Amino acid sequence: MLTLVKLLQSLVKALHSEGTPGQLAAGIALGSILGLTPLLSLHNAIVFALIVLLNVSFPGAMLGWALFVPIGFLLDPLFDSIGHTLLFTPSLTPFFTSLYNMPVVPLTNFNNTVTLGSLVFSVVFFLPLFFATRWGVARYRATIGERVRQSKWYRTVTASKLYNVYRLFRPEA
Amino acid sequence: MRIVRWRAITPLLVFTAIGALLWWLLADRLARRAAEAVGTAIVGAKVEIQGLHIDLAKGDVTVRGLTVASPHEALKNLFQADELVADIDMLPLLEKKVIIDRLAANGLRFGTPRATDGRVPVDSSGSVSGRVMTEARDWAQRFQVPALQLATGKIDVGTLDPRRLSAIPAAEALSARADSSRRTWQTGLDSLRLAATIDSATATLTRLRGARATDLAALSDARRAIEQLKQARGRVTALERGVTGGLAALRAGVAGLDSAKQRDYAFARGLLKLPTLDAPEIGLALFAPSAVAQFQRALYWTQLARAHMPPGLLPRAEQGPPRVRRSGSTVRFPREHALPGFLLRTAELSFQLDPTAPQPKRYAGRLTGLTSDPALYGRPTLFEASAPAVTAAAMLDHVHATARDTAGATVQGVRVPLIQLPALLMALDPGQGTAQLGFALRGDTIRARWAIRSTHVQWSRDSAAQRSTGADLLWRTLSGISDLQVDAGVTGTLSQPRLVVRSNLDAAIAARLRTMLGEEVAAAERRLRAEVDRQVDPAIAPVRARVTGLQTEITARLAQQRARLDQAQKDLESRLRELTRIRLP
Repeated sequence: MLTLVKLLQSLVKALHSEGTPGQLAAGIALGSILGLTPLLSLHNAIVFALIVLLNVSFPGAMLGWALFVPIGFLLDPLFDSIGHTLLFTPSLTPFFTSLYNMPVVPLTNFNNTVTLGSLVFSVVFFLPLFFATRWGVARYRATIGERVRQSKWYRTVTASKLYNVYRLFRPEA
Repeated sequence: MRIVRWRAITPLLVFTAIGALLWWLLADRLARRAAEAVGTAIVGAKVEIQGLHIDLAKGDVTVRGLTVASPHEALKNLFQADELVADIDMLPLLEKKVIIDRLAANGLRFGTPRATDGRVPVDSSGSVSGRVMTEARDWAQRFQVPALQLATGKIDVGTLDPRRLSAIPAAEALSARADSSRRTWQTGLDSLRLAATIDSATATLTRLRGARATDLAALSDARRAIEQLKQARGRVTALERGVTGGLAALRAGVAGLDSAKQRDYAFARGLLKLPTLDAPEIGLALFAPSAVAQFQRALYWTQLARAHMPPGLLPRAEQGPPRVRRSGSTVRFPREHALPGFLLRTAELSFQLDPTAPQPKRYAGRLTGLTSDPALYGRPTLFEASAPAVTAAAMLDHVHATARDTAGATVQGVRVPLIQLPALLMALDPGQGTAQLGFALRGDTIRARWAIRSTHVQWSRDSAAQRSTGADLLWRTLSGISDLQVDAGVTGTLSQPRLVVRSNLDAAIAARLRTMLGEEVAAAERRLRAEVDRQVDPAIAPVRARVTGLQTEITARLAQQRARLDQAQKDLESRLRELTRIRLP
């Protein structure tokens, strides 16, 4: 229940942040990579650094992460299959062999079927998700966004201490 | 709008610093847990480490208090080590490759007791060790160990399951074949259309009786009818040949039923726990479980080594790391001239073989070339330990496509474990003796030998066992024997292994058994034969009668048809001769 409340809180904050729909969409799309792929992977450290350093919505990224974790679990069999297909494609074997015997790259666990399959899926899914989210956020703000902003419970959410932490990472105009 | 959020760099650096600090604080603990998890997965039993320290500056990893449980015995460790110090090559770690230049293992102790069960549940599909364990157990089940039951003086006549008797399904199959043959031959007889041919010949004969010598049309019809009769007889002859072959096959089937019945007698004899009186079989009955257990363990470790050290350079998948998400498969891509994923170049081992002895002796061993990619390393893994009274060596050669694994050990003057002889309700304590184990697996061809020698055997008797005169006699015979010589060997392939076990006790027990149980054995054999007869004969007798009946019937019908054809032909030819005979005035 608490998770759901936090998720709702993140969603509300993200939708009403000062960032543009593009910043929010980019944050969600980057966060989706964290959620779709196994978390403790080297590439996710890079994705996290990008989320922090790039001028994208940090709450959006956290929202994307939270939203896509369960989806990642559900799609694990698909990721496994994608990864297995890629890793055992004979024409790609020399490429993977080079990667496997290269410094640092093996630390990304690219040679794991679920890791590779989920990463490939999330990268392919990145742009469609970005554009769909950007369109959705713009539509939301143009239609019911202002009414939600004026509501009492929205003010309660934004007055919380967590909101102050969020402001540190809010997108800059 | 700016792309980079510059003010977030400081928190990111702080975050990175916290991460580094946490790694510095927790690296040893995390590495210890990872090593325990990986070790447990590889061995198939719990691996516990008291302390692990990584010294990145020196490239050393020190493991203290290593305990590896036995995957075969619940309350026993495979070995314990006081300290392992590994000198690790640091750069390959960036490629996620562990290269240990030198490992020093001190205070190795084998077979120490433990308080809790260290085995992990066998999951034949989930883990390599589980699969190998299941395969090794299945392999051990292949050996038919004759049962020996004599301590109570009673021979157990077990339940004979009719579904496991071979004569009954053979009889059913033969019955079906007989029915099928009957239908086929009936169809063959019908298709001959002999009745029409004979009727036509009879009509022609009738016309011929009223004909004259000048009636050329009648004469021609008669010759045609004779020709048709000859053709019909040819068809009968062909059918007869088929019937003769079919009947011979059915008779062979009946004879096969007798053979199947003999096999059922033998099968029932094995089931009924009938004590064998042959010395070689007594050796099998007494020591095969202990010997097979030794061979099973050797096979387990060999197959485990083959699974984790496979030959070749093709990409190969293994189970991914355990995590909340699906593990998936981790694929390794070895490349020629590159470093293997794991390599232990040299290990110096210092160990004790009998740690419970008042003054345990220390031995030294050396292990070289233990690697996950033997084809990359290019040399076999070698182990050797040599000291007075101990010789042990092993070679795992997985460099080429056909793996060759060899191991051998001779240990003198150590305490040989107690051997339980449940068949005799006794236990045999060899005490200090000599144990030998030789094991060679080339491809799937196995050659193994296990031997025990002792001159101070102590016998003990199961006090809870029911006493009997026979058991008492046997106890008196065996308890006077202080020498023990057991030799067990396995040859053949993994799918068809042959086990031979001999001991110096075999002849003594066999002679005593003959005296004690001769009458009872004969009676038990009669009982079991009667039981097999009772179950099998009702199935065999009708089939035998059916085949006999079919043979009689089909032979008679064919003979009858042939006789009718012959008679019709004879009548026609006789009348034809009469008509065409030249009469002189």
